[in-house]
Amino acid sequence: MISQFFVLSQRGDNIVFRDYRGEVAKGSAEIFFRKVKFWKEDGQEEAPPVFNVDGVNYFHVKVVGLLFVATTRVNVSPSLVLELLQRIARVIKDYLGVLSEDSLRKNFVLVYELLDEVIDFGYVQTTSTEVLKSYVFNEPIVVDAARLQPLGPAAIFMQGSKRMPGTAVTKSVVANEPGGRKREEIFVDIIEKISVTFSSSGYILTSEIDGTIQMKSYLTGNPEIRLALNEDLSIGRGGGSVYDYRSSSGAGPVILDDCNFHESVRLDSFDMDRTLALVPPDGEFPVMNYRMTQEFKPPFHINCLIEEAGHLKAEVILKVRAEFPSNITANTVVVQMPLPKYTTRASFELEPGAVGQRTDFKEANKKLEWGLKKIVGGSEHTLRAKLTFSQESHANITKEAGPVSMTFTIPMYNASRLQVKYLQIAKKSSSYNPYRWVRYVTQANSYVARI
Amino acid sequence: MSGHDSKYFSTTKKGEIPELKEELNSQYKDKRKDAVKKVIAAMTVGKDVSSLFTDVVNCMQTENLELKKLVYLYLINYAKSQPDLAILAVNTFVKDSQDPNPLIRALAVRTMGCIRVDKITEYLCDPLQRCLKDDDPYVRKTAAICVAKLYDINAELVEDRGFLESLKDLISDNNPMVVANAVAALAEIQENSTRPIFEITSHTLSKLLTALNECTEWGQVFILDALSRYKAADAREAENIVERVTPRLQHANCAVVLSAVKMILQQMELITSTDVVRNLCKKMAPPLVTLLSAEPEIQYVALRNINLIVQRRPTILAHEIKVFFCKYNDPIYVKMEKLEIMIKLASDRNIDQVLLEFKEYATEVDVDFVRKAVRAIGRCAIKLERAAERCISVLLELIKIKVNYVVQEAIIVIKDIFRRYPNTYESIIATLCESLDTLDEPEAKASMIWIIGEYAERIDNADELLESFLESFPEEPPQVQLQLLTATVKLFLKKPTEGPQQMIQVVLNNATVETDNPDLRDRAYIYWRLLSTDPEAAKDVVLAEKPVISDDSNQLDPSLLDELLANIATLSSVYHKPPDTFVTRVKPATQRTEDDEYPDGNETGYAESPANAADGGASPPTSSSSVPYGAARQPAPAPAAPAPVAPVPDLLGDLIGLDNNAIVPADQHATSSGPPLPILLPASTGQGLQISAQLARQDGQIFYSLQFENNSQITLDGFMIQFNKNSFGLAAAGSLQVPPLAPGASRRTLLPMVLFQNMSAGPPSSLLQVAVKNNQQPVWYFNDKILLHVFFTDDGRMERTSFLETWRSLPDSNEVLKEFPGIMVSSAEATLDRLAATNMFFIAKRKHANQDVFYFSAKIPRGIPFLIELTTVIGNPGVKCAIKTPNPEMAPLFFEAIETLLKA
Repeated sequence: MISQFFVLSQRGDNIVFRDYRGEVAKGSAEIFFRKVKFWKEDGQEEAPPVFNVDGVNYFHVKVVGLLFVATTRVNVSPSLVLELLQRIARVIKDYLGVLSEDSLRKNFVLVYELLDEVIDFGYVQTTSTEVLKSYVFNEPIVVDAARLQPLGPAAIFMQGSKRMPGTAVTKSVVANEPGGRKREEIFVDIIEKISVTFSSSGYILTSEIDGTIQMKSYLTGNPEIRLALNEDLSIGRGGGSVYDYRSSSGAGPVILDDCNFHESVRLDSFDMDRTLALVPPDGEFPVMNYRMTQEFKPPFHINCLIEEAGHLKAEVILKVRAEFPSNITANTVVVQMPLPKYTTRASFELEPGAVGQRTDFKEANKKLEWGLKKIVGGSEHTLRAKLTFSQESHANITKEAGPVSMTFTIPMYNASRLQVKYLQIAKKSSSYNPYRWVRYVTQANSYVARI
Repeated sequence: MSGHDSKYFSTTKKGEIPELKEELNSQYKDKRKDAVKKVIAAMTVGKDVSSLFTDVVNCMQTENLELKKLVYLYLINYAKSQPDLAILAVNTFVKDSQDPNPLIRALAVRTMGCIRVDKITEYLCDPLQRCLKDDDPYVRKTAAICVAKLYDINAELVEDRGFLESLKDLISDNNPMVVANAVAALAEIQENSTRPIFEITSHTLSKLLTALNECTEWGQVFILDALSRYKAADAREAENIVERVTPRLQHANCAVVLSAVKMILQQMELITSTDVVRNLCKKMAPPLVTLLSAEPEIQYVALRNINLIVQRRPTILAHEIKVFFCKYNDPIYVKMEKLEIMIKLASDRNIDQVLLEFKEYATEVDVDFVRKAVRAIGRCAIKLERAAERCISVLLELIKIKVNYVVQEAIIVIKDIFRRYPNTYESIIATLCESLDTLDEPEAKASMIWIIGEYAERIDNADELLESFLESFPEEPPQVQLQLLTATVKLFLKKPTEGPQQMIQVVLNNATVETDNPDLRDRAYIYWRLLSTDPEAAKDVVLAEKPVISDDSNQLDPSLLDELLANIATLSSVYHKPPDTFVTRVKPATQRTEDDEYPDGNETGYAESPANAADGGASPPTSSSSVPYGAARQPAPAPAAPAPVAPVPDLLGDLIGLDNNAIVPADQHATSSGPPLPILLPASTGQGLQISAQLARQDGQIFYSLQFENNSQITLDGFMIQFNKNSFGLAAAGSLQVPPLAPGASRRTLLPMVLFQNMSAGPPSSLLQVAVKNNQQPVWYFNDKILLHVFFTDDGRMERTSFLETWRSLPDSNEVLKEFPGIMVSSAEATLDRLAATNMFFIAKRKHANQDVFYFSAKIPRGIPFLIELTTVIGNPGVKCAIKTPNPEMAPLFFEAIETLLKA
């Protein structure tokens, strides 16, 4: 069981602090922060999410730049505590609409009320926003999302986590709209994080899709919902390797390695017609998580060429080709590539007429960075970089540079071809027709081309 | 209140507190609520708002739940510092616990349980009793946790008031939330109790397995964790359990999945059908892999657990090595764990793929990760003989890139590869030598020097290479100096020419005269003597063939692995340490000791506050309340519960003059006769089986006195015992006579022992490793300590003359001395009697200044005598013990024994 729960800002300030058992001394937040900040003397290495200092075990997760921390003295289940910390973040986000230092501080009374219902004497009671609604009485003070500063360095924490996705919904689940009545709507987001590793010759070494069907419901009265997925969806790779390459062409069944479901999901007819039935609780939650290693068509093809170009000089040519239809556009694309340590200068040459592109040579960690605001399907972009070195290369420049990594977001595209065929809401009356948003988005997780 | 006033005036903004005070007493509800919010805000940022206690408590009587919760939050924080005032809240608590609104009832018991003030606790019992039987499940589930809270404050009270029984009743509650909390509370109480309280029978098992399906995800974890203590009676029951737990593997909550995995792994130990086991392994693989799609923090926990699981059941993930390949954006702590597992899963089948990955990682930017990747290549080479050559060629490629730390790391692992495959890959030495001058880390330097020395005959310019290191000999770290010394000796022995001869003189001189490092000096002298007396012998010693090293990638000791596997899905499995090495549960500090910043009542000004509180208009008592209002001013009634009973001194022990260390709780003799034996295998480790044991001497014979206690749910039979090799060759002289033990039964037995059966080499050690098995459980390993006095034979008495003669005949180097500053001899006679009883024979006594000096003799088998001199001042702490014996290496063991004897 948990002794304490607290939330620290990036600077280490206590934003929320709740002691449940009085068995860990009060200075734990400072001890924790110092330990995490100076895990290794050089400050390079990240502290693991679980560690022990003087008999106190500290757990932490990072959510949008905030540190959610729990302490305990006993041999608890670490996955329970870490999962709980994520869930607390989610519940708070459901309530406040936006999760930030500012919104937490403005709503601290509500947050404490929530924490008292979520945990009692260190034992988790519930993390369901739906259930909590009947015990929690404070109204959220909504922080205007539009005024929010861009998250800055905190935004990188969004990258690694799958379950705090780029949903644009920053509306509190409980607060009423300024106009009074809530709008009846439901969001279903199919979010896929793809990982691909290309070999230096362009072959796919590993590829994987981690997907989530995420739901956020603002429907009153919790009507039942049916989600129909691809009828030919199959689960488990049992002996399917023969078909792998055939399906990579873009047809054939979608084969998931494994999937799991939210506890509200009923799978009565799933085996028959691949339909999920559920009464969605309030708040954001994953209806289904899935994992796929079946081959798929990677959205981008990366080509990288390094050539020596005279004494202490070399040229890098980077080509990125979008392999998806032209009605789809990828955005916030960033291509990165570590250069040899002895690189002193890099000058860039973009293709003529390029718009919305930026280039940068990060002197400190010798990295080339190429940002593209947009890439339209089917297009190809090239970057040429002239490098100047301070010394001769030892062996082969390609061994000392790379790999090329890429991050991107592609809305309305999903690599797995898993689809929500329809979203049915049990009707209350003939005039009841809530807004339904089914959105697809694909993001890069680890998208790497070796050179 | 002046004392407190000055305190907050100095720390908070002037005027804030009086302002709040005014607002708290406002006649308007909203204003009061806002004021309480401000108080809480001040409290959370660490300001001291305790002086507003009475004003805040006055706001407690309200129908407004929001406000009530705030006041309760305040109370939890400050009640401890203001126990006398906290009593003011009791009335309202008790009233609230009978409120028609279930939320208010629950809130009242929840909060009362959090206030660790005796006076409040007393009044908690009645409301708690009611709430445990409440109609509303929300109230019952809150009450269930409250029992655990109360147990933590006052365990006796919980037992006396029958709360444990009520809690057990809740296991059959129709609401799964209530069941889950009851299970959690019982599990915690059991954890902190030595008595069996929460025993899982097959009946509770089936009830809980049913509740599992309806529980919230968190409740499922509580139940699964509690059930993991259950030991199925046979394979069929185990299969049934597994079947009902398996669907949990599909849960979206990682904690549920891991707890289910733990439960399945444990039951699998009992399942005999290989088909079933294989099938289960197949079912567990995908969910385990899916854990790696979760947040990196969860991945880390999953990877640490998987590391243990694949050590026991490598087949589970044998085909999944790809999922452990590092992603570019994995945090470093995830990458490091993935590498570890890749090494464990590497096989002849996938090694090419794995090497390709390692090679890639070795060119990344993070230095620690790169080093580990290089080392991983070496470990694969050592692990997979057929792949060794490929691994080495990858290492050579990496060396050619000439990144300094990669080269150094590669050289370190190549040294190990040479030790694993002697005379196989030496052709690469030339390549290694090219990087000689770039080495600046001690371990890499030492490894390179070792290689040069070991293969001096094959390296043409070995002498030049070594010589280049010699110049900086005095500045090198000890690790490098030691290697340089050995390598130079090897070189000289292999090439006894002029160059090396000069070198060896320089080195020996440096390592003997010029150094302060005793290790280096000793080693140098040994070489020196060897070389000067018998160069051929030196060759035999220094150039002897070395034992081949093996793969260390499954480095956990089997018994530790067993323990860790039993702790899958707990912190223990993340740290890879048994729970008792890091769990240091301290009882929450008793009242006042923790909040020392709050002065006690006797400090100036503080005493006024209760009076103030009363005048300040605390709520009048209500008729329904059983609490007299005056309690706040009167001395508190004596607590109802008796203080915990102190252990009863053992009167017998006292009579014969033992000191206080010997006091044992009297109830230890409950199950069988004889003095209590030390517990060597606690029930918590032995899946309910507890073993206590000690070596004993009876009628001139050595016995192993053992007590078995079966606290598990099943009958245990077929007990067998085995002793590992030990310094005295102790072994069982007969078989272990233990009948089948029903659950709850215990049995004591004497096992005759013999000496000199399976002797271990090396210096004498008191370690006795014991393995016990039975037909139902895995083999249990535990360690015991051999106390030398058990071996003292009855023919150890010496005549005074022969004692003196022997003493003189032994050289002074055979005399060893040790002081025991903490031991006191209070009565010479009692001590002599006790020593005589263990065959330590008194010879003479003399006075030296104010000290008494005693002489004794003793003998252990194979006729090794001990001549003992004890010096002490009777009645004063401090005993000096000097012994002389032909076997002085036994001295540490002897001192352990004498210490025990004198302390006894």
